[in-house]
Amino acid sequence: MIQTLRQRACNSWLVPCAMAGALLAGAPAPLKAADDPRVWLEKMNDALESRNYDGTFFHLSNGRIETMRIVHRVRAGRIMERLQSLDGPGREFVRNNDELTCYLPDQHTILVEPRPDRGPFLGSLPRFGADTSQYYRLEALPDVRILGRNAHVIAVNPKDQFRFGYRLWLDDKTAMPLKTQLCDSRGEILEQILFARLDMPDNIADSELAPAVKSEGMRWVRQGPTQDAPSAGLTGFRASKLPPGFKLTVEGKQTIGGASAPASHLVYSDGLATVSVFIEAPSVPEEAASAASPDIPRDQPLEGLARVGSGYAFSTVIEGHQVTAVGEVPAQTVEFIAHSVKGSPDAVRPDAVPDSH
Amino acid sequence: MSEQIREQVSAFLDGELPSSETELLLKRLNRDGELRESFGRYALIGEAMRGNKPSLLRKGFESRVNFAIDGEPVPASSPAAAARSARWWRPFAGTAVVAGVAAVAIVAMQQRTLVTPGASGTAVTAQSGLNASVPAASAVLASNREAISYTVPQTPADAPAAPPSGRLTNYMFAHSKYSYGLGQRGVLADLLIEDDDQPGVVRQPAAQVTVPVAR
Repeated sequence: MIQTLRQRACNSWLVPCAMAGALLAGAPAPLKAADDPRVWLEKMNDALESRNYDGTFFHLSNGRIETMRIVHRVRAGRIMERLQSLDGPGREFVRNNDELTCYLPDQHTILVEPRPDRGPFLGSLPRFGADTSQYYRLEALPDVRILGRNAHVIAVNPKDQFRFGYRLWLDDKTAMPLKTQLCDSRGEILEQILFARLDMPDNIADSELAPAVKSEGMRWVRQGPTQDAPSAGLTGFRASKLPPGFKLTVEGKQTIGGASAPASHLVYSDGLATVSVFIEAPSVPEEAASAASPDIPRDQPLEGLARVGSGYAFSTVIEGHQVTAVGEVPAQTVEFIAHSVKGSPDAVRPDAVPDSH
Repeated sequence: MSEQIREQVSAFLDGELPSSETELLLKRLNRDGELRESFGRYALIGEAMRGNKPSLLRKGFESRVNFAIDGEPVPASSPAAAARSARWWRPFAGTAVVAGVAAVAIVAMQQRTLVTPGASGTAVTAQSGLNASVPAASAVLASNREAISYTVPQTPADAPAAPPSGRLTNYMFAHSKYSYGLGQRGVLADLLIEDDDQPGVVRQPAAQVTVPVAR
């Protein structure tokens, strides 16, 4: 009887759909190629992006454990996704193709934002090219049984201390990551997720993708495409030195959390890890500051290192500008990049340089 | 935590718990807040969490995001909280890392004529040319309870305090637009997570709320 129940539970645990069958049957390949970790990572990416799934997982990070639910549906080329915190205030993210809606019931706010070209919420690994291989080593570890299923274990090991690595337990049948760990260069675990339940149904009802958050009484805020005017004096700032392999991939502007002017936003990546650098001029104009009582603190520059999520943030002040680097990388990487930021002489006009107390 | 559950948790963290039992454990954890808490503590000392040591951090800084500081209007800031925020981010002068940012957010929000839609959920935002440079989304994350109650009078007065507003959250949110790969998941997950600790709040003088920075 017990056996039967277990059996049934195992069957409902992961329900491979016809698509998975087709996917795997389409790539029988010789044993060697099939065991290539690259092949498995591509299968994983494919599964995460193209399959329907509905699962509950534990997210362990920073000494905390959270239960989360992920629902991912692809229907007629349209991707809908829902990531929900089952603990705490019940925040949720819902992605409808290129639009992200953040339900923040504790802030009575629903925030809608365009997010074009985003991968799945659960993330995927970029294609492992020659560049990436210079800084990370792929390794297939012995297969194991996990959660009652056969899994391929793949390690993405950083070759130096400037980036984190991953260990992935990929389901033999579906290539879904049943367990994922983020590790530092010494192999210490920084963050992990473990699925406790994962279904891969052929169909997912709309109701499963509808937020649990009631929208009555909530404030809706829609963020349009950024139309910030260029900030004179910020455009010349760049990291003058970078850890090996990091390159500037995006340069743009963002208004950070109610600041009065947009910050310059630079994104550096080694192909796997990303670091954002924000450069801001002090946000309180002198007139406003002097109009207020002198003992009211102004927007104080920040300096220091902080743990954020599974990565770090480091803030410093360079040429009177607040510089903050943040990313899922080791502390020394954000610190290295932030410290190396320099303004170019023509970009930093005297009138753009704030008085720095 | 009973011995049986401890064993289950241990097996689960090692990935060795049969799926049928995992589902039961999950159901129990979802039901039982106390158990979940024990599970968290247990996970802390378990192998799964080794390596997540505060010693990784530079001395003087907390081991997790303290959804800081700016624009947090109250709750009657305890000395401990103030001390924590002071340890967390070190401003050049004093412990008050506040003011301007939140003030801008509030001014921006006021001029956006936000309305509260019904269940149909029609999103409405105002397009104020004056504030075009202060996107609402960013402003929201820096807004505080006062800002919310100002712009949306329907907000219950007994709303939970201490939203995770602060610069770090805002940076992370901005970063999440470009973070990709598996790192993205960590960023999103962290934005979803409730901040158990009271953020290190610093009392914000009322005068700052009216600082007209949007000019």
